[in-house]
Amino acid sequence: MCLAIIGKIKEIKGQMAKTDIDGITKKINVSLVDIKVGDPVLIHAGFAIEKISAQEAGEIKNDFNS
Amino acid sequence: MTLTAKQYIHNIEQTAADLGNISIMELCGTHSQTVAQNNLKSLLPKNIKLVSGPGCPICVTDQTEIDLVIELAKYDIPLAIYGDALSLPGSEASLEDLKQQGKHIFTVYSVADALTLQKDWPNIVLFGIGFETTAPMTAWAIQQGLNIFSSHKYFPPAMSALLASEKINIDGFIDPGHVSAIIGTQIFQQFKIPQVISGFEALDMLETIDILLKNIKNQNQTVVNQYKRAVNDQGNLKAQKLLKEVFENRDTNWRGLGMIPKSGMKIKAKYQKNDAEYIYRDLIEKFKKTYQPRPSACRCGKILQGLITPGDCPLFKKICTPENPQGACMVSVEGTCRITYENRQ
Amino acid sequence: MKTDNKTIKIEQGSGGAQSAELIAALRNAYHLKNNWTNQNDDAAVYDLGDKKLVFTTDAFIVDPIFFPGGDIGKLAVCGTINDLSVMGAQPIGLSVSLVIEEGFSRTDLQKISESINKISQKTGIPIVTGDTKVIDKGKIDKIEITTSGVGLAHDIISNSGARPGDNIIASGDLGEHTAVILSKRFDYQTDLISDCQPLTTEIQSILPYLHACKDPTRGGMAANLNEIADKSKVKIVLSEKNLPYKKAVTSICNLLGLSIFDLASEGRFIAAVDPDKTDNILAQLKNAKIIGKVETGSGLYLKTSLDTLKEIRPSSGKLIPRIC
Repeated sequence: MCLAIIGKIKEIKGQMAKTDIDGITKKINVSLVDIKVGDPVLIHAGFAIEKISAQEAGEIKNDFNS
Repeated sequence: MTLTAKQYIHNIEQTAADLGNISIMELCGTHSQTVAQNNLKSLLPKNIKLVSGPGCPICVTDQTEIDLVIELAKYDIPLAIYGDALSLPGSEASLEDLKQQGKHIFTVYSVADALTLQKDWPNIVLFGIGFETTAPMTAWAIQQGLNIFSSHKYFPPAMSALLASEKINIDGFIDPGHVSAIIGTQIFQQFKIPQVISGFEALDMLETIDILLKNIKNQNQTVVNQYKRAVNDQGNLKAQKLLKEVFENRDTNWRGLGMIPKSGMKIKAKYQKNDAEYIYRDLIEKFKKTYQPRPSACRCGKILQGLITPGDCPLFKKICTPENPQGACMVSVEGTCRITYENRQ
Repeated sequence: MKTDNKTIKIEQGSGGAQSAELIAALRNAYHLKNNWTNQNDDAAVYDLGDKKLVFTTDAFIVDPIFFPGGDIGKLAVCGTINDLSVMGAQPIGLSVSLVIEEGFSRTDLQKISESINKISQKTGIPIVTGDTKVIDKGKIDKIEITTSGVGLAHDIISNSGARPGDNIIASGDLGEHTAVILSKRFDYQTDLISDCQPLTTEIQSILPYLHACKDPTRGGMAANLNEIADKSKVKIVLSEKNLPYKKAVTSICNLLGLSIFDLASEGRFIAAVDPDKTDNILAQLKNAKIIGKVETGSGLYLKTSLDTLKEIRPSSGKLIPRIC
């Protein structure tokens, strides 16, 4: 029931942060999370809802045969 | 996730061989989408059935609420709505129809867009749909002075209602990943059923089903968190605090599930100056006096409980299509009927 | 819900199933018997004997009218040039009709005219006729451009020519035009630029190898490949591992809850091609890639990275953001 996408914090200004989402930049509201520049976050409806573990924010391989 | 898809499927097949017919309910509509987009059902053994649950906020919005919001639009109250709600069918028309008739209905991606619109439309009302993942944004926006019509709901009460129903025969739950990111994992312990909180990639769901089937086999009801990269046990405390600050619970009707106690999010009295139900209380009172929801052959309700499939509904495909939805399950991209309609395979 | 048949709905202009119904209804009204063929394709064809005359028209309204990689003028001429080109024709002349809102900036009109001229010069296709109207302020949104074009072809590439065994290729990465147009509306920044460009040279260089060809504008790959599959009576299976979309484009779709298969491109083509000549094509067109295969059967499918098959249906056409 909740589409969310991972983005990386680039710049923080008050409640808002410029976030990089695989090549696009969007300002999102970060008032619900404690983050710093470089953190990956989960974004839903224009807000960061959670910090993602950086280790696991990498590519997820779905290759059936790998 | 340490195994490959092939390895998870192998595990699933092994465990399933020792089980009879098993029904797993994926509660969250976005999980249903992952299942559909990857045709995961085709990979599962025949005795393992995946059933979609009521975790589609659009699908469970009661007819009365939709008609009420449409009534507000008819009185020229400008509305901001998430795109998902545009085609929700009211008894007479949808918000999309009203928009095309010239009513001021704006689709937004976030509450920030609604606040921008407020500069030109000071009395704009956001139609707040969604569970605990989306409600904190609405709560934040109320504190910024945005008017809200709250149709938000708490999700765990729906899980209680499902488990209390004698009609439902489910062996395990796939718990909602992003709701959990907000509310944490502990709250699910009250439900005496094997359950796994899952991420949204196909591989996440395969791992989830692998774990869940093993726990169903062992009758292990411990809540397992497969989505650790996003969900921690406590959840998002700031978001929880915001929800407590702005909302209180009330009994609310869910399409298909009926009245579920303490499941609705009502805006607290201290924010009533931004509560559309308070601001327009006279209009709403007048509306409720003469309102009769139009009876419909739509069987969304039974579908949301996993009791029947879309094919069992007399309207499915014949009258009810994405272009002419008769019920919310066809409107939402996550709706069971919509997913079934768009997947002939 | 009652459907209202008394007024035209916005979905009927979006290129999806409801558009098709409206177009079919309009066609029914024009039933003079004639010798034109391919009237359901991107352009209509008239057999002149030694060659074929190909004729098409298109109307353009876009917001914003200036965007990274182009403007409404470039879009309008490339659109018609490409509709002729995907039929196998060499365009020989274009018309440009402008409906301009009172108060529109003269400088902006100048820029748009220069864009049109630039494409004309680059392709050698002249603007030979046109029309200009100015309309009261508020009666139209800034400017609307309609272009028509004629071309000549030896052999027509019909949308019904795809055969089992063919490869499906894309001439480059898709969806970038839409991704750029949406950026203003949904307030994000991107380095992407519109893919708007004329396709004649690319298509002419591989003409004999093309069995079916479309430019995936309105409705994206979903609508356009479904059309080829329907008309050719074949099944098309795309490979998830080879989908021609940049990461940024996929991100925008994930952010807004849109399907990548619905995004329009304005300077790309997708085609069913001779499997024995695909290597020649890839050598000729450096950015092209194989994205799928044609099989017996029906419908458009995606073979996922899990090796499952998922059907891709054309959408209603409108791109509406979602949060669920």
